[in-house]
Amino acid sequence: MNVFQELKKFLYQLLNSVDGLHSILITDRDGVPVISVSDEKAPELAMRASFLSTFGMATDQGSKLDLGKNKTIISIYSSYQVVQMNKLPLVVSFIANNICDTGHILSLESKIDPILQNLKNVVAEA
Amino acid sequence: MERNLEKTMDNVTNVEGVIGCILADRQGLCLGAKGSASGQSAGLIAAIADEVAKLEPESNAPIIALESDNRQCIIQRQGPIVGAIYKAISP
Repeated sequence: MNVFQELKKFLYQLLNSVDGLHSILITDRDGVPVISVSDEKAPELAMRASFLSTFGMATDQGSKLDLGKNKTIISIYSSYQVVQMNKLPLVVSFIANNICDTGHILSLESKIDPILQNLKNVVAEA
Repeated sequence: MERNLEKTMDNVTNVEGVIGCILADRQGLCLGAKGSASGQSAGLIAAIADEVAKLEPESNAPIIALESDNRQCIIQRQGPIVGAIYKAISP
């Protein structure tokens, strides 16, 4: 099994560990996917680069509030929620249903952090 | 605003044997943590409470006790709030 498949397997394990979580996407700041996993219930539109790239702008604006650097943006809609984490040059996005445990999604940060270092190098080189 | 919450948590942690407590809301977000409880655990605690409740959907909210060699963690949902109490176990 190559590194990419192992990463996918790891992300699928995380995806299945949280009830109601539909997708985990690791993208660059323009919303271009580096690696992603999702189930059949994930909303197609929310997984597009045009939606995911808005986080880059929002986190920059959020960092101007004199509260320090913005780390996470949680957007809760009527049927879905999107949790996006600032790991620049990477962005980690979680798409879940609206009743999913937000705190549980946030606790995945510590599990996903170790794999990001290698991916950061890939994005930095590209 | 959170004075009542703080007071309740202080009352809980002042009980003998209790070493910490944590409260989480319906979304698993931390409302407060005292003592050796970490705010980072709020999401997991709420998830544990929700998952265990699915075992007996017809019954009232269960009390969940997780025990290690020296500590015990007791979790229960009360309406929109999930609470966890950490207790030290004396050998």
